Amino acid sequence: MISSVIIILQEVLEAMLLISILMASSSAIGLNQKWLPAALLTGLAGAVVYALFFERVSMMFEGFGQEYFYSAMMLGIAILLGIWNLCLVYFIRRKGLLLPRPLLLGLLLMTVSLAMMHEGAEIYLYGYAYGVAANSIGTIFSGGAIGAGIGISVGTFIYYGLRALQPINCLRVGSVVLTLVSAGMILQASLRLTQADVLPAQMPLWDSSFLISENSIVGELFYALLGYEATPTPLQVMIYGSSLFLMIMLMVLVHRTAGKRESQ
Amino acid sequence: MKVGQLLSRATGIKPKYRCLLMKRMFLSLRWVLAMLVVSAPAHAQTPIFEIYIRQHLFVPAELTIPAGKKVKLMIINEDDTPEEFESFELNREKVIMGKSTGAVFIGPLKAGEYPYFGEFNPRTAQGKIIAE
Repeated sequence: MISSVIIILQEVLEAMLLISILMASSSAIGLNQKWLPAALLTGLAGAVVYALFFERVSMMFEGFGQEYFYSAMMLGIAILLGIWNLCLVYFIRRKGLLLPRPLLLGLLLMTVSLAMMHEGAEIYLYGYAYGVAANSIGTIFSGGAIGAGIGISVGTFIYYGLRALQPINCLRVGSVVLTLVSAGMILQASLRLTQADVLPAQMPLWDSSFLISENSIVGELFYALLGYEATPTPLQVMIYGSSLFLMIMLMVLVHRTAGKRESQ
Repeated sequence: MKVGQLLSRATGIKPKYRCLLMKRMFLSLRWVLAMLVVSAPAHAQTPIFEIYIRQHLFVPAELTIPAGKKVKLMIINEDDTPEEFESFELNREKVIMGKSTGAVFIGPLKAGEYPYFGEFNPRTAQGKIIAE
């Protein structure tokens, strides 16, 4: 029971963090929330399809299909979040939209569906594939409901917390968090590629598990927010650092060009 | 303007030396190729270890592997239920469906103990990799 609460809570929390920030920031730049139901529906459908084909996906790429798919999804979400982030930076500076409205809505739809697809597939695999075979659907369902309830409450809390801020500060906070979250996602993608022996294996550069264990609540929070790893390899540190650097450079660039056009 | 002149202008290296440089580069390229050929069999020698999942337990619960070496773990799930092999210490996470086998590469590890668990049955499915 406890384990099903925790598993579902983890997945729901990761998705809710993204969804609440995207909802709050999109309304701060003057978009309505009509994209959300469509995104949730496509995300759910995507999750079920992915879970149904999961076994076949796993067998692809010499048994490393899971790793390839996971990394591709994480990279995809990180890139979409990056573009969204640039739109936020542009709005902060110019109070205008960087991309036309339909494109922005499409961006939100794709990001949330991809995130839902990834987290939803894990829930489906656990709840359905495991639950049915282990004959413990009832326990998983009640535990999962509690986990999902907590996760959705936390997400709602974050959303209203962000909305309570002035729109410009809401965008600033959202932009910082999204920068960190997307670098964390790229880091996680690189971890899976190491697991599949696509990226070279290395000795860890440090071990900070005595400070913050990945197993602790703070560790889990840092994981969801920053992609925290207690024992990263030099390559992973480099990948994390360069994705942060690239994102910040692009943000500075957009900020500057937006300012220049304004002064003309 | 001839290509050679263009090159020496662009690189600032006189033709005579450029020839030498090219030769050097070619030689070092041969070295790199030779190294690749030599290192290829080393890659194929990655040791393989097996862990079984039986009735939500990992068998063997403790597995000793060489430290400082990359290792391929074959996780053979004999149960009907899927299991998620997860380890914070090893930075690994993989779902292994019922009646199927999944592989993960781990290491190189410093000598020590690295616990792992099955996320779907965390109370019973516990194991340890010992690197020495």
